Amino acid sequence: MNGLMLVAQREIRTRARTKSFLVSLAISAVLVAVLAFLPKALGGDDTYDVGVVGGTPAPVAQLVYSPLPDEAAARKAVIDGDIDAALVNGGKVIANGELDTRLGLILEAAHRDAQIKAAGVTLTPLQVESVGADAKYQSVRTGLATLLVMVLFFLLVYSAMFVAMGVVEEKGSRIVEILLTSVRPWQLLGGKIVGLGALGLVNLVVIIVVGLGASFATGFTADLPPGMAGIVVSALVWFVLGYAFFSAVAAALGSLVSRQEELNSVLTPLTAVMMLAYVTAYFAAVEPTGTLARVLSLVPPFSSMVMPVRTAAMEVPLGEILLAGALMVVAVAAVVLGAARVYERAVLRTGARVKLGEVVR
Amino acid sequence: MLEIDGLRKRYGDKTALDGVGFTVRPGEMFGFVGANGAGKTTTMRIVMGVLETDSGEVRVGGRKVTYDDRRAFGYMPEERGLYQKMKVAEQIEYFGRLHGLTPSAARAATAALIERLGLTDRRDDAVESLSLGNQQRVQLAVALVHDPAVLILDEPFSGLDPLAVDALAQVLKDRAAAGVPVIFSSHQLDVVERLCDSVGIISAGRMVAHGPVAELREREGRGVLRVVVRDAAPGWAAGLPGELTREGDRDVLLCEEGDDQAILRTAIGAGKVEHFGRRQPTLTEIFREAVA
Repeated sequence: MNGLMLVAQREIRTRARTKSFLVSLAISAVLVAVLAFLPKALGGDDTYDVGVVGGTPAPVAQLVYSPLPDEAAARKAVIDGDIDAALVNGGKVIANGELDTRLGLILEAAHRDAQIKAAGVTLTPLQVESVGADAKYQSVRTGLATLLVMVLFFLLVYSAMFVAMGVVEEKGSRIVEILLTSVRPWQLLGGKIVGLGALGLVNLVVIIVVGLGASFATGFTADLPPGMAGIVVSALVWFVLGYAFFSAVAAALGSLVSRQEELNSVLTPLTAVMMLAYVTAYFAAVEPTGTLARVLSLVPPFSSMVMPVRTAAMEVPLGEILLAGALMVVAVAAVVLGAARVYERAVLRTGARVKLGEVVR
Repeated sequence: MLEIDGLRKRYGDKTALDGVGFTVRPGEMFGFVGANGAGKTTTMRIVMGVLETDSGEVRVGGRKVTYDDRRAFGYMPEERGLYQKMKVAEQIEYFGRLHGLTPSAARAATAALIERLGLTDRRDDAVESLSLGNQQRVQLAVALVHDPAVLILDEPFSGLDPLAVDALAQVLKDRAAAGVPVIFSSHQLDVVERLCDSVGIISAGRMVAHGPVAELREREGRGVLRVVVRDAAPGWAAGLPGELTREGDRDVLLCEEGDDQAILRTAIGAGKVEHFGRRQPTLTEIFREAVA
């Protein structure tokens, strides 16, 4: 275990210091922040500026009041477009042309409330109970899910790629010969996967923290669906599982070749599967209730991308999540064992590309 | 004591090793020589456990070598390997830690080696920015950082300038003097001859000769008789065995057999004898003879 931790430490220390890691971390954080601010910037705000002449009425969430000296000033401000409407002495509304319907309703309701309150009557607001699917957050959920697809795909491909490159670096430079006289193959492989995985996880956490932070800053948090914590946890757990699966395969395939130039061709089957998972996860984000999304969210390794995306896009029954998780854990265990075997047998066979058939037997 | 016993290794229908065996005592410097492809690297890789042997075994202290024994070995493979982008000191320290040193022990050993190998002003440079000779020093430091119980070095002298050869030789001598069995392979037979207590000559996967250098010389016979005669009349050596060549006004007679006293008498009669003696066979000659 000690050997594994030493290897992991080295991976983290060397990789975290590289420019490319820091740059990609910064870019992904900035990108997510921009995406979080975007709705605010594009959609403008959903409050109204209302000029008030005379006494200031009771505060209403959607209205921002600004006091005006007299009616003439109010008319001018409305014409100039400085305010959406003006309220004169609590009883008259001045609008530019037709009054905005929603603003009209809000003003009307506020006006009515004030009068009823003045009459000494206490109102009990309506209790709302939703019995159907929660559709209110659907567009936000879909947005979150599509964002998550991209983030997961980017991080999984990126991290798995680095594992494979690290394996080839050590094999190609023959440093692996010295390493393997002081650590076991599983320690070397495991340390690399753990170390680079930790950095991938850090990147994911940064993206999530920046995203949520930006949402708080813009007040977008109010529009986030309930159960955000669950969505975040699910993204992290599925990332870890998916990463374990893909990076183990990447390491095994990487150990078959001795030169970085050969890496792309040997990784082709893996990248094809990852692309497929990406595409299906993208569909699942848009249509989380479809049969394809449902089935693939259970099948490893697709589940590692499709399930978290589905979880973000809709309320997935707990049973399905647990089943998908159990299947994925079994798949990860099998793949890690198999990969360790291939790696152990192939990594010292430098020179020409090793055929997978020769090392699995 | 490192014992290598009856190693056999086949790749398909090609035999790489065919019963290789020799022993290296503590403190002994063992030079491993042989033509390219004779099996030196294969043998060393099997000793280090990088390669599996088909049969035979490697023993330390009388029992079969284990993974934990090997963690205490120092190894320099023929194909040099270092992390190109890692700094010199950091890299040496890392290998020390992998070999089980505590952080402070690894740091101390690294500092001592850097000083010893003259890398002090390069300690924080990336390995890729170093000259090949300096990279080789780092490679050696990596093999030595954990104060190994056995040293296995594959072609440690190749590519070094004469000064670096001397420095490396001194380091190896010190290790041997500290009681460590040292095995190194080399094509530079003069270096092997100068440094080694014993040598092993391998040819086509078999040990054709091994033992102390002096013993091998003995086995080669008493050496060639060399006689140099000045101002001798032509044809004076007609009745003698051996080969006569003329260098200026000197005749040089080399002979491997015959009665040396009779030859000496003839030479004295023929002219002025400037040199008369047996020449010890060089390692190169022993090697040529052994692999022929």
